[in-house]
Amino acid sequence: MSITVLGVNHRTAPLEVRERFAHERREVPASLERVLAAGARGGVLLSTCNRTEFYLAEPDEAVPEAVWAILSERLGGGRSASEYGYTQRDRDAVRHLYRVSSGLDAIILGESQIQGQVRDAWETSKAQAGPVLHRLFQSALLVGARVRSETGLATGAASAPSAAVAVAARIFTRLAGRSALILGAGDMAELAATCLASEGVRVTVVANRTYERARAIAEQLGARALTLDEAWEHFAQADIVLSSTAAPHAVVTWDRVAPAIARRGGRPLCILDLGLPRDVEPAIAQLENVFLYDIDDLQAVAAQAAVERRRDIPAAERIVSEEVERFWAWYGGLVVVPVLKEFRERLDQVRAAELERTLRRLSHLSPDDREEMEHFSHSLLNKFLHQPTIALKEAAQAGRGYGLLEALKRLFGLERRDEP
Amino acid sequence: MVLVPHLIALGLYAVATALVLAPFAGLRPAPRALGLGVPLLGIAAHVIGVARLPSFLGVAPTLSMLALFLVALQAASEGLFRASAVGVFTGPLATGLLGLALLIGLAPEGPPASERGAWSILHITVSVFGLAMLALAFIAAALYLLQFHELKAKRFGPVFRLFPPLERLDQLNHLSLVLGFPTVTLGVLLGFGVQYAGGASVDAAQVVWGMLTWAVLGWAVGVRVVRHWAGRRAAFASIASFTAVLLVYVALKLAAPGTQRFL
Repeated sequence: MSITVLGVNHRTAPLEVRERFAHERREVPASLERVLAAGARGGVLLSTCNRTEFYLAEPDEAVPEAVWAILSERLGGGRSASEYGYTQRDRDAVRHLYRVSSGLDAIILGESQIQGQVRDAWETSKAQAGPVLHRLFQSALLVGARVRSETGLATGAASAPSAAVAVAARIFTRLAGRSALILGAGDMAELAATCLASEGVRVTVVANRTYERARAIAEQLGARALTLDEAWEHFAQADIVLSSTAAPHAVVTWDRVAPAIARRGGRPLCILDLGLPRDVEPAIAQLENVFLYDIDDLQAVAAQAAVERRRDIPAAERIVSEEVERFWAWYGGLVVVPVLKEFRERLDQVRAAELERTLRRLSHLSPDDREEMEHFSHSLLNKFLHQPTIALKEAAQAGRGYGLLEALKRLFGLERRDEP
Repeated sequence: MVLVPHLIALGLYAVATALVLAPFAGLRPAPRALGLGVPLLGIAAHVIGVARLPSFLGVAPTLSMLALFLVALQAASEGLFRASAVGVFTGPLATGLLGLALLIGLAPEGPPASERGAWSILHITVSVFGLAMLALAFIAAALYLLQFHELKAKRFGPVFRLFPPLERLDQLNHLSLVLGFPTVTLGVLLGFGVQYAGGASVDAAQVVWGMLTWAVLGWAVGVRVVRHWAGRRAAFASIASFTAVLLVYVALKLAAPGTQRFL
């Protein structure tokens, strides 16, 4: 009886290592099958850009080796993945998953995307999860939801791209259906555009100095690709302009965009300048109904949210601890019944064998006396078993049954399923 | 028993106001159900109190009714527009108005409500509701200008976090102005009807100044609906028109002081 998590995350491995471990959805079943074949009774693989973790139910000793072998193969170069890895067992493993699903273990404290990723991992691994991990992941989603609803851990926007979304959301009633113009085609522009798109914003145009790069991102986002010089006219239609070019000076200048903005009829325009150095001339903020924010502004929004979120860590940790105990009580109760049954059967076999041996020696006893002897042996066994049974059930209900069960199994040799 | 439900309403409005203001003091926002439930309970108590008023005439009953409509509109703004920040203004205002009404005294100032014409009661109710709608338009405009200022100044404090988006405040201002103006107009027309039926007397100054403020309100609605003003300009127009209403009321009240009649 045990739950184990083995994996790597942003604390233990750099990005270039983590991205090698990342599994696509279609790769998950094969990796899990290999782990289960090594001797685990259930497995779930959680793989995101920040973590790759194998959650395992009752893994045998060979299983960790199998997990590190799978990850080492991806790492290549003869390096061992275990150098970057960690292992957590039992309550710590449960706590780890609950902290992950709550966003307590995320790079951006309280980020909510992980909740969906935990759900995806569970659904992708459903065939291999088994009942214990099924329950564990189900409860992890509930714990994540509880932490987010009962604490302020998910309030505000704690990263620059999510701050960009938060700022736009203070201007427009709904972001869904708004049109966005993206200037630049670098990683930051792509990330922020994806963030906006996830809120339902329609990226209509991607413009870049080089058309080919703009086209590559535009195709991903279902937008139109343009060169920068063709983009200025689109300031008349777009609700949100997101700029992150690599230009060494401001490319969005008053002369280029003021005429187009004048044709907006007073509709608000949110310009998010993520470029460094800035892409947008600050004077443009003076135009009526134009709201311009640069990377420093967005980081100020994010920093403020992060400070507020950190205040709620103790409350979130309390919820996690409470839920770990609740799960462990369920888990302890789950395994106590079969172990107690086996314990009773084992002692009953001893009782029956000893009674038979004794009765053979006492062949002069009448049938009534033999029956009395049998009754006595049953009664004695029940008396002996009563207190341990009660204590074990109570300990299981209180979430402390695991240690007692292990002791019981060891003392009375109850590891039958492991026997050859 | 007029006083007890009014006192209960006053207490609940005070609690609702505290709940709305708490996040601005750095405290955790109250759950939405609580933020909506407390004023709704206050409204229920207040409706009982208003229904038992012996007369709707006089400053005190009118202030009580105005407070009731303001809190009702606050609850509607939160329920329909998720604009709980409206309560930053309506909460203290309604609590203050109701407190003032209780201080002035809700004792009968005229014939019992049951003995007066239904048209008169309708005139007062519709007029006060229209006034409350215009007050809501004013509040939404003020919130808009505050949020606009914070966004332009790149200040990301409580106003940024707790006020609704600009566009929503603009919609709330538009809706309350466009609904409030016809409601006030209907109230005025009902007032003329009551006057001709001999139910009330209105002096010439009230008519002249009343028509003037009606024209100013009509202008604020006109620029929104006909000339499609929106955003900051519309907010200023809305604030200017409601300020005109308040100034005219204060001037008329100074000219003819007393608490027997609202106007």
